Amino acid sequence: MPELDAIPAEARQRLEEIGSADLIIGILNTAHDHEIGTVVKTVGEVLRELSQNLRAVVVHSPSDEAPERHEAARENESVHVVPWPLLAPNTSLTQAGSVSDGYRSIFALGESLGARGYGVIASSLETVTSQWISRLVEPVLNMDFDLVAPCYARQKLEGLLNNSILRPLMRALYGRRIRNPLGPDFGFSAKLLRRLLYLDSGLPNRLGSPVLFASEAACGGFQVCQAHIGERHPPQIDLMNLSSILADVLGPVFLDVERNAPFWQKVRGSHAVRAFGEPIASAQEDGSVDVRRLVESFQLGSRNLQEVWGVVLPPATLFEVRKLARLAPDEFHMPDELWVRIIYDFALGHRLRTISRDHLLRAITPLYLGWTASYALEVERSTPDMVEYRLEQLCDAYEAGKTYLLSRWRWPDRFNP
Amino acid sequence: MLEQVREALHQSTIRVITKLASLLPGTVALIIAVALSAVLGAILAFLLRRLLRAVDFDERLAHAVSPVWTQWSPSQSPTLLVTRVVFWALILIGFLIGIAAFDATLTSQLVLSIFTYLPNVVAAVLVLLMGTLIARFIARSVLIGAVNMNLQYARVLSLGVKWLVLVLTVAMALEHLSIGGGIVQLAFGILFGGIVLALALAVGLGSKELVSRSLEREKTTAETEEPFRHL
Repeated sequence: MPELDAIPAEARQRLEEIGSADLIIGILNTAHDHEIGTVVKTVGEVLRELSQNLRAVVVHSPSDEAPERHEAARENESVHVVPWPLLAPNTSLTQAGSVSDGYRSIFALGESLGARGYGVIASSLETVTSQWISRLVEPVLNMDFDLVAPCYARQKLEGLLNNSILRPLMRALYGRRIRNPLGPDFGFSAKLLRRLLYLDSGLPNRLGSPVLFASEAACGGFQVCQAHIGERHPPQIDLMNLSSILADVLGPVFLDVERNAPFWQKVRGSHAVRAFGEPIASAQEDGSVDVRRLVESFQLGSRNLQEVWGVVLPPATLFEVRKLARLAPDEFHMPDELWVRIIYDFALGHRLRTISRDHLLRAITPLYLGWTASYALEVERSTPDMVEYRLEQLCDAYEAGKTYLLSRWRWPDRFNP
Repeated sequence: MLEQVREALHQSTIRVITKLASLLPGTVALIIAVALSAVLGAILAFLLRRLLRAVDFDERLAHAVSPVWTQWSPSQSPTLLVTRVVFWALILIGFLIGIAAFDATLTSQLVLSIFTYLPNVVAAVLVLLMGTLIARFIARSVLIGAVNMNLQYARVLSLGVKWLVLVLTVAMALEHLSIGGGIVQLAFGILFGGIVLALALAVGLGSKELVSRSLEREKTTAETEEPFRHL
């Protein structure tokens, strides 16, 4: 993916025409021209709402359609459009390396235009409203926040990977209660984006997975907030690819845990971050959920992966897992404490390289499906408030289990219950 | 006549006893040399084990070559392996010294043939080592992948793949050692083909229902998984 020195002459000329901009809106998904037209209008509305003489550039990966973008751009003099190949086609947003290239391209463009703030949209453009963009960029432009994390209105069985691992783990380790560290839509200050993408030496940083933005911001002492931006249509994942997604997401997270160990070992407890906007309720689907398949996957894993799990999990945890595998699907319940220990042990196993890291990350899939089944059974008849309460309980369990992680992290051989 | 027979018997007995008596010092020397080298080897191995444990050899090695080493997962610790190699090397040296007590030329011929053959042995050991490593790694990859794909026959598949690689490895090692020649190749072909055929039959016929149930389950998964959004 091109950085500033690799910009084609045509795009460079376009940037020279634009001159400068305060805000960059990066669209990571490939967008159709009519969608870009809508985004341009929406950004125009946002700039008017912010009631400042601001200029913005929308950068997006061009589609193969005939370009109408310049007409769309002319509709609003304060918003310009730059087509730029940000991501390779069919790139998953969980692939850290590719995504970091996309962010780096957006940042390179913003740097050349002297931008102060960035809004990066990775979700489907169908759901993007002026409220989305406004709430993601306003805290950066007007209130000196460095990172704006999104809060979506979600169904209770959406964002499971975020709710089961990322949100509580980030909170327990870094002490900030951010609901969606995984994003993927964020608002950034130029200062933070520079820090995220480049090391102090100026060399490209290999960081770039969206899931690491919150932890890097916390470690760097940046101002973090979150914004309730509305509904999002998360992509449906083929279960065959779930282990790859888990490996893509958890690999950088566990690396981050290892890298930031000196920081998080000093953090005690957690505190809320400022939230903008009111929580938006999403119409919840009621009714029972069929978890048989998930429980069967867990049981299959328990029958076949004992040897692999045994390398990572201590005997007591392994024993609990084996006991769990004997439960009938409708009685299935994975205690929070067990799940927390499993995640912490996998983080430690990743650090110690007790088995190949790819094997380790993929071997977590049946356990994750077990947690999903247990959680789905618990919340199938819950209201949104009850779901939130349940997730808070899980976060508390992660915080309570942090002493376990600390002990195992410091003395992996001696402390092996 | 009887006197002559007795004389001949007497002479042959004396010859045999003389021959045995001439071999006895060499035999005793061989036993002493092996015994001494065993004692020396045990002492050296003990000292080496203490030294390696003092410098945390196992942990250092695990950190240095961790991914490869952990895939192999030897049942013995590296320290133990090194000390055993030293011990048996000393016994081998003692044995060669003992043989030299019989006949110096015999030893040099033995040493020469051993050293000529040694590269083959080293290559075979390396092939075996790498093959075992690769077999374990691939077997584990297949096992995890198959479990994540919800295949009930994950373990069978993993074992099949593991044995395919191991059979291939052993055939290559034997080829290096020049053992068996054409028989090994033929046996390998039969065994390798047999395993592939067995796997194909297991999946195609024997486990037909199992596979169809697995596939059916996969088909219905998309519908039953509808409410779950992981991202």
